[in-house]
Amino acid sequence: MRTSHKGFAEGLLFALNIFIVVLLCAGDSLAIPQWLQPVGRLHPLILHFPIVILLLAMVMEFFRFRPEFANEKLYQRFTTYLLVLGALLSSLTVIMGLFLSREPGYEGGILQWHKWFGVSVAFVGYGIYLWRNTSVYTAIIAKTGAIVIVICLIFAGHFGADLTHGEDFILAPILQKENRKVPIEQALVYRDVIAPIFETKCQSCHNADKMKGGLMLTTANAILKGGKTGKLFIAGQPGISLLLQRVHLPEDEKKHMPPVGKPQLTDQDKMLLYLWIKNNPDFKKKVIELPATDSLRMLAATRLKPAESTEEVYDFSAADDKDIKKLNNNYRVIYALASASPALAVNIYNKSTYSVKVLDELEPIKKQIVILDLNKMPVKDGDLKTISRFENLRQLNLNFSDINGSGLKDLASLKHLKTLSLAGTKLNPNLIGQIIAIKSLTELAIWDTGLKPGEIQQLQAAHKKIRLLSGYKDDGKPLKLTNPQLKNTSQIFQQSFQLQLSNPIKGVDMRYTTDGSVPDSIKSAAYKPGILFTQNTVLRARAFKAGWLGSDTVQFNFYKNTYTPDSISFLAPADGKYTADGAKTIIDKELGGTNFGNMKWLGSQKDMVMLMLFKKPIALHSLTLNTIRNIGSQIFLPAEIEVWGGADEHHLKLLTSLKTATPQKKDPVAAINLECKIKTTGNISCIKLAIKPLQKVPDWHPAKGKPAWVFTDELFLN
Amino acid sequence: MEKDFLESRLNINRRRFLSRLSLGIGSVALGSLLIPDLFSGAGAESEADFIPGIPNFAPKAKRVIYLFQDGAPSQLESFDYKPKLREMMGQELPASVRGNQILTGMTAKQASFPLVGSFYDFKQYGESGAYVSDLFPHIGKIADDICIIRSMNTDAINHDPALTFFQTGAQQGNRPSMGSWVSYGLGSENKNLPAFTVLLSKGKGNGQGVYSKLWSNGFLDSIHQGVQFSSGENPILYLNDPDGLNRHERRKMLDNLAALNDINYKAFGDPEINAKVQQYEMAYRMQTAVPEIMDVSKESDDIVKMYGPDCLIPGTYAANCLLARKLSENGVRFVQLYHQGWDQHSNLPQEMAGQAKDVDQASAALVTDLKQRGLLDETLVIWGGEFGRTNYSQGKLEKANYGRDHHPRCFSIWMAGGGIKPGLVYGESDEFGYNIVKDPVHVHDFHATILNQLGIDHKKLTFKSLGRRYRLTDVAGNVIKGIIA
Repeated sequence: MRTSHKGFAEGLLFALNIFIVVLLCAGDSLAIPQWLQPVGRLHPLILHFPIVILLLAMVMEFFRFRPEFANEKLYQRFTTYLLVLGALLSSLTVIMGLFLSREPGYEGGILQWHKWFGVSVAFVGYGIYLWRNTSVYTAIIAKTGAIVIVICLIFAGHFGADLTHGEDFILAPILQKENRKVPIEQALVYRDVIAPIFETKCQSCHNADKMKGGLMLTTANAILKGGKTGKLFIAGQPGISLLLQRVHLPEDEKKHMPPVGKPQLTDQDKMLLYLWIKNNPDFKKKVIELPATDSLRMLAATRLKPAESTEEVYDFSAADDKDIKKLNNNYRVIYALASASPALAVNIYNKSTYSVKVLDELEPIKKQIVILDLNKMPVKDGDLKTISRFENLRQLNLNFSDINGSGLKDLASLKHLKTLSLAGTKLNPNLIGQIIAIKSLTELAIWDTGLKPGEIQQLQAAHKKIRLLSGYKDDGKPLKLTNPQLKNTSQIFQQSFQLQLSNPIKGVDMRYTTDGSVPDSIKSAAYKPGILFTQNTVLRARAFKAGWLGSDTVQFNFYKNTYTPDSISFLAPADGKYTADGAKTIIDKELGGTNFGNMKWLGSQKDMVMLMLFKKPIALHSLTLNTIRNIGSQIFLPAEIEVWGGADEHHLKLLTSLKTATPQKKDPVAAINLECKIKTTGNISCIKLAIKPLQKVPDWHPAKGKPAWVFTDELFLN
Repeated sequence: MEKDFLESRLNINRRRFLSRLSLGIGSVALGSLLIPDLFSGAGAESEADFIPGIPNFAPKAKRVIYLFQDGAPSQLESFDYKPKLREMMGQELPASVRGNQILTGMTAKQASFPLVGSFYDFKQYGESGAYVSDLFPHIGKIADDICIIRSMNTDAINHDPALTFFQTGAQQGNRPSMGSWVSYGLGSENKNLPAFTVLLSKGKGNGQGVYSKLWSNGFLDSIHQGVQFSSGENPILYLNDPDGLNRHERRKMLDNLAALNDINYKAFGDPEINAKVQQYEMAYRMQTAVPEIMDVSKESDDIVKMYGPDCLIPGTYAANCLLARKLSENGVRFVQLYHQGWDQHSNLPQEMAGQAKDVDQASAALVTDLKQRGLLDETLVIWGGEFGRTNYSQGKLEKANYGRDHHPRCFSIWMAGGGIKPGLVYGESDEFGYNIVKDPVHVHDFHATILNQLGIDHKKLTFKSLGRRYRLTDVAGNVIKGIIA
């Protein structure tokens, strides 16, 4: 650095320090012209330079008088340059800072501290620079000066950071704010509901130190006072509230609050502010002083809720993981309620492996069990003694177990038991008093235990604190029974069949008829297992039971089939779309149901011809073909069925043929048996069956003129 | 299991091992011994926060029963009462209401969109005064036990993507089902039954398919896959021993097979081998546990009357509801029902009546039955479809006949138990029942809330697959605090 440069720097340093003094003296009366404001705003940028440079300069100044450095020219000169640069930059920074502090929004204690520490840095730095080459400047003074500057730098920096980032910015992550757990009875509307909104979303800019827009939202008085633009609200008139206007402005609007990029108010926050202002803002009112149906109270209650419903804290320590692991098996499942919770839940499964030993073995974790589920286990009253050792038990499920209540007295020692389920047990009503005496109990399930509704009502009246679960009561309207179900594997029989009906509802009376009439509960025959039928039967059945409506009538058709051919083949096959299982479909003893497209029906628009061979000659009297009629789907009855018979396929003669009546438009959809009677012709070993569809669909049908379809699913030979 | 995974990865994945090593295992281990949370990064989402099998916090619900109404029942004939639509019957849907909503190919070309009000009347029920249509009198009676959400919305407009979205959190069917996530997150309660079971039933209404991808485990371990219980003679396929094999021989066979598998496990370290052995063992135990569950003959007459006599006919919705209660009672974490037949594009008044009759009584009975067993507090019951239906008629509007097309913007579901506020009606649609005006609940929010009730932070339940971590809620979802009791 040339002397002229040094002189210039010194002159500038002097001028800047004088300027600082002027600015400080002018104080509040100083007005910063608008064009200078950007200079002020550069303060947070420039300040980093003097911090680093001055810090380094002070370290060097600290050791300046050490013998090894005292005569080191480079060291001395470098220290000087650093110091002059640092002093210059710090003075500049202070001036900028003073400009910035004149802008609205910066006020309060922290700003003052920051200002004076910053100014001290500049002045002390300049002082050292002026003084450091005089004879009175000793090593001790050098060291003291260096330390003072460093301290001032640290404090100025710290308070400055508080201004820009908010207080406790650095330590916030580790300073765990205590969760305020205010029970709703004690909560104040302002302190516990409204103020937290301001605190989290507004106060970083509207506090005593940084009053943006002249607004402070930390105290009741300041809130009532409002800001530069005016009062925040007029009590009871949310519609004209400045506060609500600002938070409801679109986010891209400049005046929208909080500014873009800062945490925004939620809809619920806005609603709470609205309701608070509407209710005439009060800073002392308790939440529960509001009417129970008040929207503000209801919203506030949900806000305060999390504090209320915190997880239960258990006062016992966790069990040894090894014990838990050892005791856990396929039929005794032990698991922690939550990841850091010491509490355990135990579920016992499988009746056949249960014994009291299953419970006795839980000794090592007896303190930690809070939930025990023994639903449907054969628990005896004596076993309850073991259970009474689980001192922290909250919930015990003994539904459908084998207890009768004599052991329940043992449970009286469980001081924490809240829920007890005894449904479906053979509970002795006289013993119920013993359990109901457990003070902590809040819920007791006793339905299906033989206790009469009256007794339960009395109990409930005497123990209002306990919720008694007394079970479902139907509304007395009778329900319709389920239909009888057929259990016979096939509806086709050779000689005779035993009717097998069933109904899933216990104790029903099933009645049937075979004459096509609707069964009733008095005159019709009652179903018993083992009834034999030997003929084709149309069976209609219904179920009845006292207290229920009778079921629908169901119909089952049984078909006798004496002879089954040993082989069957097509001479003229079925249509490719409806081949089902080939020709043997019609002798497979399985009916095709109601849907012709389910691949259990043979269908064709041409003649279907089948050849059946019998190893043992038969005496055929009748041939019955099960067919379907569905005029809408162009399915008609066969126009003609021809039955040929003989000793073998080369010696066949026409045994009989059947022609059906001309179809009518109104013929309903139905499965129809077509029986061809055959006059005795002696024994035959071969049958040829030809099924001929209607050649032309009648004129009244949309498909008039085209050949009709025929469908068949089964053949009965008798 | 997790340990096995880690071990096997260390065995076979050199890159992973080296990258772990470079972090300095020693210092990490020492540091975490001194301060266990030192590296867990409080607040940040890290894998270490999640331990499969244990909830993050004490759960409100331990189990879920999801009564899925497949095909999307109309909200306008069930839980979202819109008298305005009756007033404006036959008038055109205002363009301003429809906005930019895309329509399906089924109605996009329709010349007019005549508004249609519910064919069925609504009544208010219970202390909550919730409106429920006359089609669902039994559900009306439990109005004070359920929380009706009228502001559901979804991204998809067609059945398969919408259903897949509801079940897996994504519209493409390659993710794990919600039940699989729950099984992965909480493990099974009863080791003798699968943690995730599926039950199907079908109504007479126009139906849509359900496919096994809906209960797939996706990239999770195969033990988390949903197991379908069917209504036939063998509720679980291939569970029974073949004829002629007795239980003793089966045991011997399994032991020997396990020994062989163990040799392979030691050689290759593939955890899937162990998973398979465990599945064989579980199937063995299920052979005794399942018949006991399926046996409804011991249910009392009161129970039968409550669910309706259909509950004794296997394969009906009522029977599945009863079965769902039994499974849930026995510690099955997630019971997924599907009832098909809710896709009323036409003939809605008639078809919906039939569908409602199938499900109304049994759905309500399930809630009541759980309640009397003290299980409703810890069991979350959900009833709903994959989207809603339009407020205008698809096809010709007749006095007593109309249809409704798909509508993803706004529909209704209900939940009960499991720490959900009872007797609450949440969310609101506009007077046309077309747009949500208050408290929207997106499918991701729905998932987040369900997991929350199960004690799981939806942001922490993750699984790494194909290089990134997946969640049921993907990168979205907020817990709906307003419906939590």
